Amino acid sequence: MEEKNKSIIPKAALIKAWLIWETFPQTCYNYERMMGQVVAHMFSAIINFLYKDDPEKRKEVMRREIEFFNVHIEFGACILGMAIALEEQKSMGENIPAEFITNLKTSLMGPLAGMGDTIWQGVVIPILLAVCIDLTRSGSGNVWGAVIYAVVIVVAAYALSYWNFMFGYRAGSEAIMDFLEKGILNKLIKGASIMGCMVMGGLIVNYVNAFCGIEIVSSTTTYNVQESFLDAVCPNILPLGMTMLVFYLMSKKRWSAIKIIGLIIVIGIVGGLTGILTY
Amino acid sequence: MDKITIVQAILCGVVYWLAVGNLPFVGLWSLQRPLVCGMITGLILGDPVQGAVIGGTINLVYLGFMSAGGSMPADMGLAGVLGTAYAIVGGLDAETALALAVPIGILGTIVWAGRMTFDSFFVHIADNYIEKGEYNKIWRANVLFPQIMCFCMTAIPCALAAYFGSAYIQGILDMLSGKVLTIFQIIGGLMPALGIAITLQYIFKGESKVFLFAGFLLAVYSGLPLLTLGIIALLVAVVYVQITGQMEGKAVTANGAAYDDEDDEEDD
Repeated sequence: MEEKNKSIIPKAALIKAWLIWETFPQTCYNYERMMGQVVAHMFSAIINFLYKDDPEKRKEVMRREIEFFNVHIEFGACILGMAIALEEQKSMGENIPAEFITNLKTSLMGPLAGMGDTIWQGVVIPILLAVCIDLTRSGSGNVWGAVIYAVVIVVAAYALSYWNFMFGYRAGSEAIMDFLEKGILNKLIKGASIMGCMVMGGLIVNYVNAFCGIEIVSSTTTYNVQESFLDAVCPNILPLGMTMLVFYLMSKKRWSAIKIIGLIIVIGIVGGLTGILTY
Repeated sequence: MDKITIVQAILCGVVYWLAVGNLPFVGLWSLQRPLVCGMITGLILGDPVQGAVIGGTINLVYLGFMSAGGSMPADMGLAGVLGTAYAIVGGLDAETALALAVPIGILGTIVWAGRMTFDSFFVHIADNYIEKGEYNKIWRANVLFPQIMCFCMTAIPCALAAYFGSAYIQGILDMLSGKVLTIFQIIGGLMPALGIAITLQYIFKGESKVFLFAGFLLAVYSGLPLLTLGIIALLVAVVYVQITGQMEGKAVTANGAAYDDEDDEEDD
């Protein structure tokens, strides 16, 4: 795409479109089109600025924008900004085939969804939650952890998606591709993984509880396995072992979360009844 | 407290609807997390602090739960609202509440799957609006109709479950004594391993693996709170990325040096 023509969509309409995208993407989430409908909803905010005297052309835009679409809302916002920019250029006579817009959207949504879900739901949310849950449970309990978590994550989501949406609108598809290929992203994921792993290590110590209840009673002394053996080797070794077992079963044996829940219930019942585990 | 009023039960239902109805969307990131909806449920029942603590504990199971590609492995919103409500009404401790909440969360996935299926219907209404050129009406198909349906599917069952469930909680509690209570607490203590393990699936890879054990040992022997540990972890991550970045830079320079020795040395 060459030099961009002058914009015909006012900034206010663009902001309205972004607000619709960030606020209603999953109000009607469905298996058939996933988020397709919200793209059409979003386009309804700006469609009247395109093809001012050609309602049939406007209808064509809407028809192709309600097709299947699914992405991570905040990370994928740039795709929507880009789609609006492309439709705008096309309406001003730029030679952009309709299939090109659709293909670009569908080819970008996979990588951005994968990356967004990993960084957002796999790193940002767990770390923020872990810290805030710890804050809430500290002392005799308080609401600050919950309040801080909610405020930070909402502000971060709106800020990221706004910036990303406008980036996509201004910079276009090539800039998005460029960004996806840059090494800076890998560095970000690497750093986030390291930080996440360390916090998860701390979380195991603080919040996974497992105590061995076996006591070997002889005539003179009582040998408590947890205190005399396990704690001497390394405190919290059972919680670490349990977490690594669950991790192994899920990543290597492909166990589902529900299966793991079943296993934990069985371990709890058997361990509790036999006295191997205690609380 | 020993009873939940009808108004409180209805409010619990509304919180659950807002948490999973994705209205607004950021509710998925905020209100749906048991830490947050637990606090709100606590607020409704008159004890926000206890609600936040119980909700936060339930939330440990769902740390890295991912809703990707339209799938929902467990409904943490329902687990958070009902688990917290039952715990406050029945006076349960956090671990027992957690063990109670997890099966509720599995039950909730039915609601999600139902919504995802029935919502398809509204898209065709939107198709119709487009054919008629009535673009300003699309919001009805995207927000209004599906959310009315969602309200009926979420708020009503949840309010009923909150109201009638807490009536029986005392009876359940009487059963939960001695050995049974211990078993519940053991299960509640083990369950956070699931939340952590799910998160690890995304980040426990390659070079970062060793840092899990570093964080573990640091926490065991220092007893630092997680916030401090998190800041240390951030610094460690930054330093590590910088150092490895420099090493990669050196490797590139070294390759370059094979072609042109002296220039590179001058640059240094």
